[in-house]
Amino acid sequence: MDRRTASLAACGVALAAAIAVPFVASRAEYVLDVLFLVFLYGAMATAWNLLGGFAGQVSFGHAAFLGIGAYTTAILTQLGISLWIAVPAGALLAGAFSLVIGIPAFRLRGPYFSIATIGIGEATRLIALNWTSLTGGASGLTLATAPPLIVQYFAALALCVVSVALAAWIKVSRFGYALAAIRQDPDAAETLGVATTVAKTQALFLSACLLGVAGSIYALHYLFISPDSVFGFGTSIGLVIMPIIGGLGTVTGPLLGAVVYTFIREQLAATLANADLLAFGLLLIAIVVFEPRGILGIIDRVRSGKKPPPEIAAVGDG
Amino acid sequence: MLVAGLYAAMSYGLALIYGVLKIINLANAGFLMLGAYVTWWLFTAFHVHPLLAPLAIVPLFFLFGSALERTLVRRVLGAEPIISLLLLFGVWLVLQNLAYVIWTGDTRSIDTPFIDATVSVAGMQLAVPRLYVFAMGVLVLVGLQLFLTRTYLGRAIRATAQDRDAARLVGVDVERVNGIAFGIGIALAGFGGSLLSLLFSFTPDFGRTLSLKSFCIVVLGGLDSIVGVAFGALSLSLAEAFGVRYMPASLQNLISFVVLVVVLIVLPKGIVGTLRALRRG
Repeated sequence: MDRRTASLAACGVALAAAIAVPFVASRAEYVLDVLFLVFLYGAMATAWNLLGGFAGQVSFGHAAFLGIGAYTTAILTQLGISLWIAVPAGALLAGAFSLVIGIPAFRLRGPYFSIATIGIGEATRLIALNWTSLTGGASGLTLATAPPLIVQYFAALALCVVSVALAAWIKVSRFGYALAAIRQDPDAAETLGVATTVAKTQALFLSACLLGVAGSIYALHYLFISPDSVFGFGTSIGLVIMPIIGGLGTVTGPLLGAVVYTFIREQLAATLANADLLAFGLLLIAIVVFEPRGILGIIDRVRSGKKPPPEIAAVGDG
Repeated sequence: MLVAGLYAAMSYGLALIYGVLKIINLANAGFLMLGAYVTWWLFTAFHVHPLLAPLAIVPLFFLFGSALERTLVRRVLGAEPIISLLLLFGVWLVLQNLAYVIWTGDTRSIDTPFIDATVSVAGMQLAVPRLYVFAMGVLVLVGLQLFLTRTYLGRAIRATAQDRDAARLVGVDVERVNGIAFGIGIALAGFGGSLLSLLFSFTPDFGRTLSLKSFCIVVLGGLDSIVGVAFGALSLSLAEAFGVRYMPASLQNLISFVVLVVVLIVLPKGIVGTLRALRRG
């Protein structure tokens, strides 16, 4: 069995397990809730990774798209419009917004793009906070009814599968190679005939649409959204951190990162306010300094039998 | 408009670090915040007058900054720019959330008679702390310029900023200069934070908005020029002062983001850089 068949088989088994969970798990409510978050975060991280990992354009403002998706769905369902229309509308609006900001923002490169995205994220949060007639301002929006948890669970799972499949397909497509070329050297990519701005804008658009759907699911799960939750900087931070933990620019890395992220949050969020973000900061520093390829990089090192640096060996011993 | 002094003081460090190390110090916000908290802490715990706090903060932050450069930043200097950005982002997260854990998220402010004092100049009531902060912004500008042009170390820093390899060739210890420049940059951020605590109340999170303003200022000024920073600070504070007349105060922070994004896109070399380019024809 070659590697490709093996990984496909592994995906099939994992997917079958994920589908079976709601029907076999004891304490199904809690398990579903945690897995729901893993899949939702996994989809969000994968979406961010399309631009941040594949194309190397690190965005600190991706919460904007999540927020637009969440607010669109919340507002449309309040007007009595069906979810079948509201959710795609949220995705498309997020996508449309990504084009509006992408065209100017992609005139900037690397770190400058990243800084501009902090500004974009903050600006959208402030607009959501101040456009009270539409968004309800700081007091947020409350949704009346939600689909049952099991429906939410399958929606998150489906979104996650679609995102990861899309990422896997892009990775080996012509488009994916164009993005990789941009990440490695934008000038060389341009010289070789890659339309860099077009490719980056396409990656951003896909990423934004997926996050728009994720935002809708988020709103339907929590039934309450506010500018500080969906548009908040914390959300953008999470989106950056998950793919980095797992492995920037890989297909499965963001998913692994989402598992770690959800676990750490579940463990620490209840103990001490902001202890989780503190842990993520330390983790981020450690990863960047010792193994910028994240968990997948560590796995790779262990497999290839290279002697890991002492820091990583210490983790393995404990 | 007097707030320009504060804006300038909190941005010099960013420009200095970018100029020498060619990395963007995303952790600037964290050090600003820390400077404000240390000032507040010295004041409430030891009754140290907030004006004296920089005497402790500047050397302390300098040491901390140099140590940070030596242990972490140095490892990523050769890597892609995004790696150093992420590293400093991590440092910022740690500082910010450490502050949450130590000092909680409550809003803090410093209250002394000095803070509320006003003087009238030419018929206008001006707040003394604002005047003081403005004066400090100018003073630091003059001091930095003197340091960078008149001392050996300052010249070494400028040489490294201009051409690292050439500086090394003429015998400048580039590694040492990196550490010192990063230390000074962090010390300036701490000083800026200390000044800030005189004007505003703050939470561990407050650095973000201000840091964005710093980026805006530094980009306006042309990223590596100290005079440019002062100029950028003045421009932004003017833009804000005028903007507030035409929009609600709650949207004031939007102005700097809009300016930031527009300037990044229209004038990627900053105002000073664009003027230079124009002069050359």
